[in-house]
This record gives sequence, C-alpha cells and structure tokens, in this order.
Amino acid sequence: MAQERSVLITGCGIICAIGNGKEEVLGSLLSNRTGIGPLKYLKTAHTEFPVGEVKMSDTEMEQAMGIEPGTPVTRTALMGMIALHEALGEAGLGSDDLKECGFVNGTTVGGMDKSEQYYTDFIENDTRNQYIRTHDCGSCSEMIADRFGRFRYITTISTACSSAANAIELGADMIRSGQADIVVAGGSECITKFHLNGFNSLMILDRGQCRPFDAERAGLNLGEGAAYLVLESADSAARRGVKPVALLSGYGNACDAFHQTASSPDGEGAYLAMSKALADAGLRPSDIDYVNAHGTGTPNNDVSESQAMKRLFGDAMPPVSSTKSLTGHTTSASGSVEAVICILALRNGFVPVNYAWANPMDDGIVPNMELRPSHPLRHILCNSFGFGGNDSSVILTATD
Amino acid sequence: MEEMILKLKQEIIEVLNLEDVKPEDIDNDAPLFGEGLGLDSIDALELIVLMEKNYGIKLQDPAKGKEIFKSINVMADYIQKNRTR
Amino acid sequence: MVQDIKINILSAKQISIQNPLSEEWMESPLAYTGSYVPAIDPEFRQFISAGDARRMGKLLKRALATSLSALKEGGVENPDAIITGTGFGSVENTELFLEAMVRDGEQMLKPTQFMQSTHNTASSLIGIHTRSHGYNSTYTQKGMSFDCALYDAWLQFRLGKIKTALVGSHDEMTPVFAGFMRKADHVRDGEICSESAVSVLLGTGQDAPAYCTLDGMVILNRPDADELAEAVRSLTDGNAPSAIMTGMSGNAENDSWYGFLGKLFPNIPLLRYKHLFGVNFSSSAIGFYTTACCLKKGVIPACLTEDGITIKPDGGILTVNIVEDRHYSVSLLKPILCGGL
Repeated sequence: MAQERSVLITGCGIICAIGNGKEEVLGSLLSNRTGIGPLKYLKTAHTEFPVGEVKMSDTEMEQAMGIEPGTPVTRTALMGMIALHEALGEAGLGSDDLKECGFVNGTTVGGMDKSEQYYTDFIENDTRNQYIRTHDCGSCSEMIADRFGRFRYITTISTACSSAANAIELGADMIRSGQADIVVAGGSECITKFHLNGFNSLMILDRGQCRPFDAERAGLNLGEGAAYLVLESADSAARRGVKPVALLSGYGNACDAFHQTASSPDGEGAYLAMSKALADAGLRPSDIDYVNAHGTGTPNNDVSESQAMKRLFGDAMPPVSSTKSLTGHTTSASGSVEAVICILALRNGFVPVNYAWANPMDDGIVPNMELRPSHPLRHILCNSFGFGGNDSSVILTATD
Repeated sequence: MEEMILKLKQEIIEVLNLEDVKPEDIDNDAPLFGEGLGLDSIDALELIVLMEKNYGIKLQDPAKGKEIFKSINVMADYIQKNRTR
Repeated sequence: MVQDIKINILSAKQISIQNPLSEEWMESPLAYTGSYVPAIDPEFRQFISAGDARRMGKLLKRALATSLSALKEGGVENPDAIITGTGFGSVENTELFLEAMVRDGEQMLKPTQFMQSTHNTASSLIGIHTRSHGYNSTYTQKGMSFDCALYDAWLQFRLGKIKTALVGSHDEMTPVFAGFMRKADHVRDGEICSESAVSVLLGTGQDAPAYCTLDGMVILNRPDADELAEAVRSLTDGNAPSAIMTGMSGNAENDSWYGFLGKLFPNIPLLRYKHLFGVNFSSSAIGFYTTACCLKKGVIPACLTEDGITIKPDGGILTVNIVEDRHYSVSLLKPILCGGL
C-alpha cells in the first residue's frame, strides 16, 4: 500500500462487558463467553432488557484509578481512563510524552449518567453544580485526558455509533498531514437510562440475547465500554524504538443520507464507507480476510449491512461476524472496542465467532461460526454505522 | 364513533406536529403512511406511544403498527375494540 | 502528501440574536441587556416544508436554513464534507426527554425527542436533505466545537481528500439550560447567554467569488507562553495582521486571557463580537463569520472595534478563541487580493 506516512498502532487498551483489559477480553473471545446478562449496575425501571455492562461499579473503577472519593467524575470518563491507561502503558508513553500527542475521543452521552440522576438538583438547588460541568461530551474527554498529563490537542466526536471509528480516522489524518506524530484515538460510553429508554422508544431492543444476522433477530442489546488505539507515525515509532502491534492501513467515512434512524435498504452509506476504506488502503475486496460487522441485531441494520457487503464482495464473501452478541452494542465506543478486538484477532490468529447465531436470513450474510481461520489473517475490515447514516469503516493490517 | 374519529385526528395532528393539516383535510380511508399523509417509521412509533398514553393500548411489536395505522378508520376501529381507557 | 493550497471561504450565514441571515449588524446592530436572549428566527418556510419541519426543533431548523443559504450563495449542491460542531446539542429535546423520564417513570417516552437529542442529528439532517454521501462528522468540544470542525476540514483540504466543505456550529438554549450555563460558569458575569447557528462553505480551486481565504490555523491545549507565541508567529510568518478578532466579552477574567496578544502585536486593534452576539458554545463560529464578513466588505465596522473607528483589513485578520484559559484556537484569514499562494 502506498502511504507516504503510514499509520502504526503502537498500543491499545480496552474495557467492556467481556473483560477489563486485552487479556481478559481475549480469553472471552476464545471461549465464546458473552458479557450480556441482566442489569446489575444501572438503576432503571427497565430490568427486562439484557445488557453488556462493564463488570465494575463506579466506586470500584474510581478505586482502580486512584480517584479521591467525592471527586466529580462520570462512568463514561472512568471507563475511558481505564482503557487509556492500558493503551498508554503498552505504547510506553509517560506523562511527559503527552505534550506532543493528540487525544481524540468519541462519546455521545458524555456525563449523562450523572445528569439524569441529578437533573432535579440542577434546577432546584446548588448541591450538584459540579456535575453540570461534567454533563457535556467535551468535558468528558478532558477528564479522561487530564488524568494522564497535558495532551497537545483534545477533541471530541459525537456521531453516535461511529464516534470512535471517526475519532480513529481524524487521528490518522492528523498523523498523515504531519500535524502530530502520536494521536490516541477511540471512544468511551456507559449505559444510561437516557439512551436505554431512547432505544426502547425506538423499539429496537431485544428482550433476550441479541442474535446478529439471525433470521429471528429482534433487536440489539446495549453495551458499554471504552477502547483506545495509540496511532503513531513510522518515524516516531522508530525514534522511540517501539514496534507496532498492528497497522491502520485505511479508513473511510460516508453518509447514508437516507433517514435519521434507519439505514437505506441497499446499504449505500455502508457500501461507500467500506469502498473508501479499501481505496484508501490500496486494497481490493478480495484482500480482506475478515469483516467485523456493525451487526447490531436489529432487523434493519443487518439486512442493510448484508446488502452493502454483498454489493462489495459479490460471491467472494470473506468470513463476517458481529461481536456485539458478546459485548453488547457499545454505541459511541464500538468503533474502537471492535478495532481492538480485530487487533487481538490479528495477533492471536483467530476469527471472532458470531455468538448466538442459529438461523440464516433469506436476504443476509451467513456469519462466521468457526474460531480457527482457514488462512492467515492479514487485513481486517471493521464497520461502524451510526444513527443519521454516519457510516465509517477502518482496515487493520497485521504487522510483518 | 364520529366524535372519537375527530378527537383521534386532532391527537394525531398534535402529536406529530402536522402544523398545516386540519382534521377535515384527512380522509378517513386514505393511507396514513407512504402516500396520503406521508408519515414514516418514526411517526408510527409516536402513534404507538399515543395509543398507550391516551387509550391504554400497549403494542409490543412495531410491525403490528403498520396494519393498525393503515387509515383513520382502521385505527379507530382497533382502538374501539381494544381500549382500556 | 500535504498540499499548501488556497482555501477560500465561499459563503457564511448566521442565525443569532442579530437579524438572521443578514449582515445588517455591521451597520445597525441590535443592542441587548439581560441574562438570556433567544435567537431571532427567519421565516423557515422559505427553506423547509411544513412536513419536513414537523420533527425539527430550533437548532435543526437553524442548522438547515444557514446551511442551505450558504450552499446556495456558494453555488455548491453536494459538499464533499459536512462537518458540524455543537457544544450541548439539541437542548430543548434533551430537556423534554429527561423531564418526561423523571416525571413518568421511564414509560411512554417519545422517540422523536430522543432522536433529536443525539448530537449528530444536525449534520446528518443536512446530509439527508441535500442527499450528500460525502464525509460527515460532528464535534462536541464545548466552546471549541466549531474550531475542531474547521480543523478537520482544513486537514482534509490539505491532504487533497476534499474540494468543498460545509462547516458549521449550532447551539440552542432554553431558560432552564441557560441557568445551567451560569451555574457551570460556561457563561460569566457581564455576558449574555445566547443562541447561534453559523454555516460556512469552504472550497479550493473554485473560480467563484469568495469572502476571503483561510491561510492557516492552530489549536493547542494548555500551551505555555513560548509555545503559543511560536505557534502564532509561524501562522503569521512574523507579519502583523490588520486586526485581531478576539472572544473578549466584557467579563474581566475571560478578557484577561487575551492579554498575550498585546505583547505579540502591540498597537494592533483588538476586535470583539460577543457584546453583539452573546455567548454560547458556538460563539467562535460567530467570530469566524464576522471576520469573514469584514474581509468580504473590505472594512471592519465600528461596532466591532474598541474605539468605535472603522479599520481596513488589508493585512488580514487573526481570529483567536480561548476556552477556559486552556484551549487556544488561532486562525488567519486574509482578503482575496493579497492572500494565498
């Protein structure tokens, strides 16, 4: 692939329903252990919906990050800190190194987990004013970043389910244009009553375990989590003497331009995003060894995405699976959570299984159910399609 | 029934914010979705909320909405038979 | 490969507490006092049918109206990129959904309110309405949201990925959220909490008339004095601009952050716009818009200057936005005749 400034990935971190950290997540992927189950941490009336919660309370996460009790902090920020800590650790970046680095964070709910609890206080008294300051998305990113040092540039992207993927794309553009040598990019999102109820009002939640690409699928299960990739230029990695864990070889963003909550029947936006990513990477569809689909399990997404993939791959469909039946739909974080899953797949030589699938769709792809790959994994395509038709795809490539 | 149909039309106009539409503009047998009023899937969800709020009818399956919301008459008939409020 | 290309501002449109979609504020600005002033809306029917508008709150209507105006004036139907900023998103719908959730115990909630409260609704709405399949993204970095959206576009122009971009930033308020803005110190003493929507069309390689050029920009988080001075020096190449558009607002603390400009560029007039347009998370887009208007007209009107005297901006205008004394955004805009490469 012809890149003047190739984008290396020199570290990554993750926390989600199937594990705190890469090792635990890998273990769950290899043993097909789902993180979806009854609600435990979120206080809501809707206990009928299974979810993929991170298996730590806010207090436990605060303790893990050494945060003083009583410090105003949100669940989304806590998850972000834990994942960022792991990513920076793997990349060998200390506090002093961050002044040359960018931080691009994808989140759409921001501090809503606290705002929805304290909303009445915000209006009626002054006891929770410090949580008004944690409400917006940008403040969330600052909280996560500031914990580790002074990043040179901090920004926040909110494109719903493609936020983290778009964060990765901006980070890569910053490196390719010489604006930065290192950008940490990804996303974080916790489950809130706000969007649990929101998705319920759209009637796209499954009351049972979700089944992406299954003929009888009935909707998605919400998940939560955070993940970050340390994107780095080849020069910088060489100077620092660090080896990449994977390469970001291409990416593409396109707008479906169809409807605010439904994807077009022919999956135009998805098709364009995937095509752009391939063109950017200088690859053909036949070069793709595995697709980590957006695959939410909703009637609409899975048929639309299947159409788009059929248009792109024709009869030569690579193995495709959705890992959302293990992690739940981590919404704004899904682009980076799933990118890290793809990196684990590349480095450990397995193909994630589409857990809970049983019945083929009439009009859909038949997903991968076999962990062992039939040939070495070199290039993986990872899809993230958000509400409003904000569609993004990234391609992760194995290092030589 | 006529009174109920008028009330239903006013409720639909209000909940879907159809500013320029008056009850007399809506033909009782005309399709509500696609052509006719040109409503879409989000409007259908809003009507499901309306059914529960105003008439105590809970619809679990959004696909059922498509049949019930075929026209004003079909909708009114369904409400008449199933309302708990 | 990075290209040093000339990026033109082809058009810029606003809806704010000044007369909407017009530059009347330059000659006869409206004056305000008070804590919270909502925007003046144009007649939206000229842009959006009643059917389409039925589901749109104020922020979405304003985002769409300013976008369609900017696209029309700039002569572009489908921009290669649509990039939007918003600090708080659709506050009205967020409030309605939250209140209903708290009041009705998580039952019978309205999907439209939820859908609209998602921050990327404006950007995707513009994509849907114009049937534009190009790049589409949304930035939510408080008072830096517009700057970050602009930065993304600027990177992509220089990488040769796009030839046109619609960049905007939109924030709406409600009386309740205006109260929150004060409690959280996002709007300070001496500042009016307001609403604004701005859409800017940028392009490269066009023959169409343009307002001005974007020569460069830099955004830094917590720079020290040397870093900041160096960044500004490399932007301006050591040449002093004709004037500097600042986010000074009349609040002493906020205004003190702009003190470094006096040292870098002694005797260069400092301009301000927040006394006319109020303060919200999309204010910096207003700063950019007013700068572009000045360069287009070839005059900086008295209402923006400290001493009430008009200035000719022949040497370009530097725009500076500072948020919470930590995020610094600096852009250099030049007039068409003497700018660019």
